Amino acid sequence: MHQSVALRPSLLRSILRVAWRDIKILVRYPTWVISLCVWPVMFPLGYLFTYRALAGPQNEGLSSFVQLAGTSNYLAYVVSGTILWMWVNVMLWTFGGSLRNEQLRGTLESNWLAPVDKTFLLIGAALADAAQMMLFMCIAWVEFYLIYGVWWLGSPWHLGLVILASVPSVYGLGFVFAALVLWAKQIGVAVNLVRGTMLIFCGITYPIAVMPGWMVRVAEVIPLTHAIRATRAVMAGDGLGEIAADLWYLLLSGALLIAAGLLALRFIQQRIRCSGTLGHH
Amino acid sequence: MSVPALVVEELYKEFKVKKKGGLFRRPAADEEKVFIAVNAVSFQVAPGEVFGLLGPNGAGKTTTIKMISTLLRPTRGRVLVHGIDPEKEPTRVLSQIGTVLAGERCVYWKLTGRENLEYFGTLYGLYGQELKERVSYLLERFQLAKRGDELVERYSTGMRQRVSLARALLANPKLLILDEPTAGLDPQSARNLREIILELKEEGHTVLLTTHYMEEADFLSDRVAIIDHGKIIALDTPENLKRGIRQTRVVHLEVQEWQDGVGNNLRAAGLISNYVPAYDGAARAWRVVLHLGGETTVGAVLAAYLEMGNGILNFSVEEPSLEDVFIQLTGKSLRE
Repeated sequence: MHQSVALRPSLLRSILRVAWRDIKILVRYPTWVISLCVWPVMFPLGYLFTYRALAGPQNEGLSSFVQLAGTSNYLAYVVSGTILWMWVNVMLWTFGGSLRNEQLRGTLESNWLAPVDKTFLLIGAALADAAQMMLFMCIAWVEFYLIYGVWWLGSPWHLGLVILASVPSVYGLGFVFAALVLWAKQIGVAVNLVRGTMLIFCGITYPIAVMPGWMVRVAEVIPLTHAIRATRAVMAGDGLGEIAADLWYLLLSGALLIAAGLLALRFIQQRIRCSGTLGHH
Repeated sequence: MSVPALVVEELYKEFKVKKKGGLFRRPAADEEKVFIAVNAVSFQVAPGEVFGLLGPNGAGKTTTIKMISTLLRPTRGRVLVHGIDPEKEPTRVLSQIGTVLAGERCVYWKLTGRENLEYFGTLYGLYGQELKERVSYLLERFQLAKRGDELVERYSTGMRQRVSLARALLANPKLLILDEPTAGLDPQSARNLREIILELKEEGHTVLLTTHYMEEADFLSDRVAIIDHGKIIALDTPENLKRGIRQTRVVHLEVQEWQDGVGNNLRAAGLISNYVPAYDGAARAWRVVLHLGGETTVGAVLAAYLEMGNGILNFSVEEPSLEDVFIQLTGKSLRE
């Protein structure tokens, strides 16, 4: 006679299993290693040459930059901005599109049929992406040191703390993005809009003080601005006291964004249950 | 008295279909149409029964099972899975059903068969040694053990479908829901899968399956609901459904040329009640199913057909099948 073995699934185990799945699939596409090594070196090059051209042989053209940025080390200034922006950029494409990718792959419905809260899919994918991006940043910092001679005066532990404090806001944005992309079924336009906004507003390669007042006010709302400012402060040798306000802002905005993302997922879940578009391409 | 495995009562699903607006124009409210995909569908499935939903593509079969398996919200009506309402307790319902949706893409091609089952097993609450043992058992059972550690992308379509079925059985659910389980499979793989479904029935599983293959519904199902345009038009055992049209003799003609005018003339003369022509590209011939009406003899129909100046390549008189039941009820073939 039939004997069911069904147990109550654990949300935590499900989350870890999604992360395990994503990492397994990732390593089966070996070309990602190439982009992991090459992209961090290539991306800041254009900005570095621009700075070099503007600075002149003795950095004599940098006086205005030093006044606004508080440092003459434009190398460290540019790479710290670009690496954080690359993190958000890659996260939007990978984690931000994770539910949409499941939909296109045809596996979203079979995951949805599991008797477990559907947030496991997003949180697990975020874990896998965060692990991948931590590796990406470690490699990037080593490359910046070896190739460009970039080094920081401050504590590497403080730098790690800034990165960790940025995780909730970066992935909170990803939560909102992933849920909305599942509904809109279009990722390219949304990624370009979000990353373009951040590229302009967050002071990736220039001090935000050069922007008009209203743009500065907008920039101050975006968590990435605070992550970049705190990173640069740590690189310049500032202590925890100087970056505490930015860290608190990152944690608070991260909590709000994660809550907004989970709410968005619930809302989209209801909508697609009515419209029957869960499995639609 | 035991609780039915599945109760479906007056189930409706309507979709709003909007006309596409222009670049700068939203479609007006009156340009919105309502498409009724499932229309007052009701049936019950007893524990241990294999219940078939038979109908052509677009009849509403998949929409019905998606509502049963919580993927879709019904517009109206009620579903009870072992007495539990999926609208109120979706997670409890999901832990008691195993669903295989149509298509071979519901598992990860970049994972091995074993990894897929371990992944989904965790989502169904299995872990540790129990998970490993269950996965090994299912791989063995579905003849996948030897290739269980190969990526699914290297599997045949039949093997992928067996992985999907194994996935649905991870938690050994009481109710199995199979959407077109043999679609796209070669005849040998389809036969193997049908035998597996019968074994599952022997083990006490209740099975709800959708299909547009009448032989499959006939072979597997204890009872069949024939569905067309979202409505159940007949529901009974395959034998009773066929018995209902036993007085109808069925002639299969193979002819070089076919024109609907010929069929209409035969019907107007009261010799046949229905005809369904289909062109067989491989044989370069038409295969026409004729349902003989009343007391008409086969000889009389063939004579009338030949008198109209037509030729016959071949003909046979056959027992009515579920396909003929469908033709009798709708005037069209399941394949249309």
